[in-house]
Amino acid sequence: MKLSPYLAFAKKSFLSRSAYRFDHFMGILNTLLRIFIFWGIYLALYNGKSEVDGVTMTMVTTNFILSMGLSTVFCVNDFYLPSRIQNGSIANEMLLPVSIHGRMLADNLGNALFQLVFHFIPAVVISVLVIGIHAPASVAMFALFLLSAIFGYGVLWTISFALQMLAFWLINVWSIMTIKNVFINVLSGSMIPLWFMPDWMKGVLMFTPFSSIYFTPVQIYLGQLSVPEILKGFGIQLIWILVFVFLGKVLWKQGQKKLVVQGG
Amino acid sequence: MICFEHVSKFVLSDVSIYIPAGTSVGLIGASGAGKTTFLKLACGLLSPERGFVRTMRKNPVTHRSELGVSMGVMLNDIPVLADDNSVKSNFDDLRIIYRMTEGGYKEEYRILADVLGFGSYENETINALSLGQRRRVELGALLLRHPKLLLLDEPTIGLDQTAKENLRMLLAERQKEGMTLIISSHDMGEISALCERIALLDHGMLTYYGERELLLKRFAPMDTLEVILSGPLPDLEDLPLHSFMLNQNKLTLTYNSNHVSSAELLHHLLKKTSFTGVTTYKSELADVIKRIEKGETNEFYRGK
Repeated sequence: MKLSPYLAFAKKSFLSRSAYRFDHFMGILNTLLRIFIFWGIYLALYNGKSEVDGVTMTMVTTNFILSMGLSTVFCVNDFYLPSRIQNGSIANEMLLPVSIHGRMLADNLGNALFQLVFHFIPAVVISVLVIGIHAPASVAMFALFLLSAIFGYGVLWTISFALQMLAFWLINVWSIMTIKNVFINVLSGSMIPLWFMPDWMKGVLMFTPFSSIYFTPVQIYLGQLSVPEILKGFGIQLIWILVFVFLGKVLWKQGQKKLVVQGG
Repeated sequence: MICFEHVSKFVLSDVSIYIPAGTSVGLIGASGAGKTTFLKLACGLLSPERGFVRTMRKNPVTHRSELGVSMGVMLNDIPVLADDNSVKSNFDDLRIIYRMTEGGYKEEYRILADVLGFGSYENETINALSLGQRRRVELGALLLRHPKLLLLDEPTIGLDQTAKENLRMLLAERQKEGMTLIISSHDMGEISALCERIALLDHGMLTYYGERELLLKRFAPMDTLEVILSGPLPDLEDLPLHSFMLNQNKLTLTYNSNHVSSAELLHHLLKKTSFTGVTTYKSELADVIKRIEKGETNEFYRGK
């Protein structure tokens, strides 16, 4: 798989986003609003206390600022493949000498890079200045946080990748994507930090793909994980990526088979 | 270039055909005869139930993307371009996909936009275009990268006469460069103008594959000769005519061109009478299709 066309697609995706300036400013405003609303909710819940169950207000704000900031970058187009299956152009895509998965990824990465530069950074900088967050535990932990965040994006992208393949059989996957997004919002720890969950639930959630999207990177950032725990966190992220890539590839093969055998 | 060996799929039944590189083949047949299935098998969008297909010596199902570098495919039920992107953006995607140089791309785009006439709406999104406008852009997108093999399913639907002529000219040029062309169409004028060979499908069976003239002789041999008489009605008894009709002074003779030629008929008439005008009507491909649709060609299969 030669990289050049995919880099060109990522660049095109990045540049096409910059054409919509109003949308860009609204996006930053939306992220800031969400962060400030959650800040208000947690301020009310903490009711002036410095910590609840050993979780400080700063830890909570750091969690939701970073998680919500990252969620602006981690925007995956869940309907890239389903829309092509619905209108039949998937068959034309199959005839092109580039991988459709590569195009999907390039398109999403170009968009993610735009979001990182023009949404994440401004929104996080403003939030840090107004609300304030924990500094990273160390430079090394910050570097590991960035690596873990990349893996987190990988988990999120591959979940969407595998679920999009279901469109070969279901055609309309809107409801499945909605359920997936609810699971991610609730169980990834971005809205409600997993620290507040019962121990048994936290234990289970730490092995699910959801917690490894946002919560693992945030925990590394805060220095809450030892080196073996960090390695375990990376391991879980990589295993989920491999599982979903495998699932997606199997479903893709079956979907293609359905097209060439049944003709649609 | 394309080889089918005892291929069966959906309506297609036991089709064997070899299409050499550089030839142009018109795929004709009534609706539902299996033309689109044939094209989908050739490009690897369908796998055969029985038999095998080879396109450029490769199994098109397993080498679809690889073949995509040198193959252009337009099928009626499959959009070629992204609906929500502009014409220019779609072409820019193709430039990236086919790794064209900036200079080469611009030159080729300009020529195609001029000839096919889509330059004036290049900033419109595809879903805002009319059928004819969209078809021009799709054809341009296929021709942009000079494919070695072009498969077209009813390419002229929605095109006006000028666009049809420009397309013919463009395709004829590409054929001179060695492009193999397979067109499925109900527009027999299109097929006649562009294709040196005809593949005739009838209820999924390949009932004819060969030169166009031979097809007409086999399936539509009845020609018509109209003569405006200025002399008496001649004796036509010993002529191998299918039928004749006299309307005032206009004599219409219908004959099987495999049995007698128009020259022989005229020679006979000249000896017996005099006339002021002559018109001959040759059978056309459209007549073949009409006969197939009426189920009148079975007699030929039995006799072949």
